[in-house]
Amino acid sequence: MTPQERIHVVVDPRDNVTTVLDQGTGLDRLQGGLEVALGVPFGHKVALRPIARGEPVIKYGVAIGRATHDIASGAHVHVHNCA
Amino acid sequence: MAVLPSHFLGFPRSDGRVGVRNYLVVVSAVALVNRWAELIAASLPDARAIAGEFMRGLRKPDAARQARVCEALATHPNVGACLVLCHDAASARLWREYLADCGRPHAVLALMEQNGMEAAIQAGQRALAQLDEMRRSVARQRSPFSALTLALECGGSDPTSALIANPAIGRVVDAVIDAGGSAIVSETVEFVGAEAPVRALCRSPRVAKDLLAAIAAAEQRMEEDGERYRGVNPTAENIEAGLTTLVEKSMGAVAKVGSRSFAGLLEFGEKPATPGLYLMDTPFFSPCSITGMIAAGAQLTLFGMGVFNPSGNPLAPTVKVCGNPMTVARWNDAIDADLSDVLAGGATLDQAAQRLGAFLVETVEGRETRAERWREGQFIVPKTLTPL
Repeated sequence: MTPQERIHVVVDPRDNVTTVLDQGTGLDRLQGGLEVALGVPFGHKVALRPIARGEPVIKYGVAIGRATHDIASGAHVHVHNCA
Repeated sequence: MAVLPSHFLGFPRSDGRVGVRNYLVVVSAVALVNRWAELIAASLPDARAIAGEFMRGLRKPDAARQARVCEALATHPNVGACLVLCHDAASARLWREYLADCGRPHAVLALMEQNGMEAAIQAGQRALAQLDEMRRSVARQRSPFSALTLALECGGSDPTSALIANPAIGRVVDAVIDAGGSAIVSETVEFVGAEAPVRALCRSPRVAKDLLAAIAAAEQRMEEDGERYRGVNPTAENIEAGLTTLVEKSMGAVAKVGSRSFAGLLEFGEKPATPGLYLMDTPFFSPCSITGMIAAGAQLTLFGMGVFNPSGNPLAPTVKVCGNPMTVARWNDAIDADLSDVLAGGATLDQAAQRLGAFLVETVEGRETRAERWREGQFIVPKTLTPL
């Protein structure tokens, strides 16, 4: 780990999102190297891969909602693109 | 996922169950004799008084539930020897019949057969001292994890419990279920919002029907009291914290069940007929829900928390699991499993779950939990009707 990468947790191996666990909103990499959008706050979700509109958003290994827009890998996933 | 060894050292009981403790208990069968039980138990440092608010005059379903729970507590697998205290001689006779085949040292006394408090306390203390000697002849033996039933609980929830403590517990639950063991989760109302994932986790359509009916009934009761959950959750505050949907919010608590399938729904205090993962239909207040799961035979509770919660149970060790570094720092003497390094990026969830699994093994083999040290916990049996 380097301080240049954001701490995050993938709750279940089946998930297509991860949750960031730090305040490093100015960093653009997750631990493990995936590029991440700037400004994602603590506790918010990031797409681990592209999620097409209509596809389930998976966290805890279950569908917590569906993508309402195409979501790019590394993008912030929240009420603006998931319901 | 956590990895468990092939066996653990436990106390085998004649009914086939296995204790993770060999407690000496003084059971107060009716609240009238709670004080007598406390005074007797105080004479030996290892003795625990099991003193609920067991009352007379309950309506039939409540009386039956209370009796079932009280009997189950006296013969819990973690009980090495029990002294049961009653008020009247007739109750004492019934208890002696019930305990005749319990396979453990036991004695029953009725207060009405004593002569004054001083003599009553001395009689109880003499009986307890004898039971204490007798229970010490039992030794731990290699026991399979299929004999283990976990109670699953969470309280003081925050984002770390949803993302660290509860998912780590879920991985340990998967390992226990895969070893042929059992786990019970409760607090039905916490499952509101997670119906779709729960349905997907059920072993059969019949199991799904039972679980979803219980969850719907709990939601209905909440609505009867004017509390709406669906439609107002996640709240604006939840959304600001990163929770997007109701399912996501509800899964924060449900994550502690892991990823294996539900084998069925249990009533309060009901023992599972076969191994596996169960939902017990209980109120959400943890001292009450834990009472139900322990009465069902769970030998240990895994308790996920964000902020501190002092729940426990006198009959089963409670492992307090926490991923919040501020809580761990403030409540270091009351939390068992510190998983806060996940938040600092120093460990993955899988590594944390491995550590929790190792801690579970140490605990079932005798490592004292903080809740045991502080003697946390009590027994609360729910009542549904106004007593007579």
